Amino acid sequence: MIMSAPVTRTDDSEAPAPVEEEVLVKQARHGDLEAYDELVRRHQQRIYATIYHMTANHEDANDLAQESFIKAFKALKSFKGGSSFYTWLYRIAVNKTINFLKLRKNRVHMSLNDLDFNAEHDPDLMALISDKTPRRDAGLTELQEKLNAALMKLSEPHRLVVVLHDVQGQSHEEIAKIMDCNIGTVRSRLFYARQQLQGFLADYLK
Amino acid sequence: MKENENNFESLRHLLALKRHEIPPPGYFNDFSRQVIQRVRSGDTGDSATFAEHLFDQSPWLTRLAQAFTMKPAFAGGFAGTLCMLLLFGIVYAERPDLAPQPVLQAAATSTSLASVTPASLAQPADQIGIVSSTNPVLSLQTAGSPFGQQNPLAQPVSLTLGN
Repeated sequence: MIMSAPVTRTDDSEAPAPVEEEVLVKQARHGDLEAYDELVRRHQQRIYATIYHMTANHEDANDLAQESFIKAFKALKSFKGGSSFYTWLYRIAVNKTINFLKLRKNRVHMSLNDLDFNAEHDPDLMALISDKTPRRDAGLTELQEKLNAALMKLSEPHRLVVVLHDVQGQSHEEIAKIMDCNIGTVRSRLFYARQQLQGFLADYLK
Repeated sequence: MKENENNFESLRHLLALKRHEIPPPGYFNDFSRQVIQRVRSGDTGDSATFAEHLFDQSPWLTRLAQAFTMKPAFAGGFAGTLCMLLLFGIVYAERPDLAPQPVLQAAATSTSLASVTPASLAQPADQIGIVSSTNPVLSLQTAGSPFGQQNPLAQPVSLTLGN
């Protein structure tokens, strides 16, 4: 199972129909926990994945994802519907995660999830490993650790842009809405973050 | 832009590895149940410290912190301004002659000593523009002795009368 396959609102087959989601949100606002349970199921993987990629720690991601959903439920009454529920939920999760990381900057402890079986058959990764890189002997697990360590060196806003765009496949527009900034800022942050990552991972890239 | 995308092709291949990191098997089967259970038990989803809570409740504070992270020059400028304000405050507070200045000037323009008549002396002081001050009169303070003797003690004197 690929946990956080690229997602775009239009292409994702798992994406719920907007009308149905609106109904669920309305029911949840009136305290219907079954409706909210359905909303949690729909978004749990993407919310967890974003937080996990930001923290590189499964336990922290679990706590923060649960707390984000609980906080969102408590704040549902203040949800005006100006943006989609999905974007609003993302904002809550992202702000919570960034605040968490800011206050625990000196306590970076990675607790990485295992790679799934498909990793060895991913064409992108196969291309990378088969290429004549200076460290072609590196195994996938070593690559995973180095990649996460490099990501953790980025500032939170830069890391978030890379995670949302390059890992989760979100569009610039969607990221701008989530981060409450303009598209130009998203693009410049993405460029800068990629440059930095390329420097950190020079030994593993051709 | 296209060229930039090509430059980062290898990096994007490497980042694809992140998509294969998965939580323990069955993790999501129980996730929503745990969330609903915590909601039912009245959990606010806030294991945050006071500082986290403060950041959470104040989006402007988060934006300020982000600005500091993204632009160190901005953080330096902000800190510099704060220091200047602090220094100005200290200097201003240590010069008591600066504060009553406007009042004294007003008093000087409205009343001169020559204009004080016996009739005006009968009026209350504040009506004729005489302002009293509680500032210490520095010139009356005793100066230190050049020989280091601060409090000379009186010596008993004995006088003997001659025959």
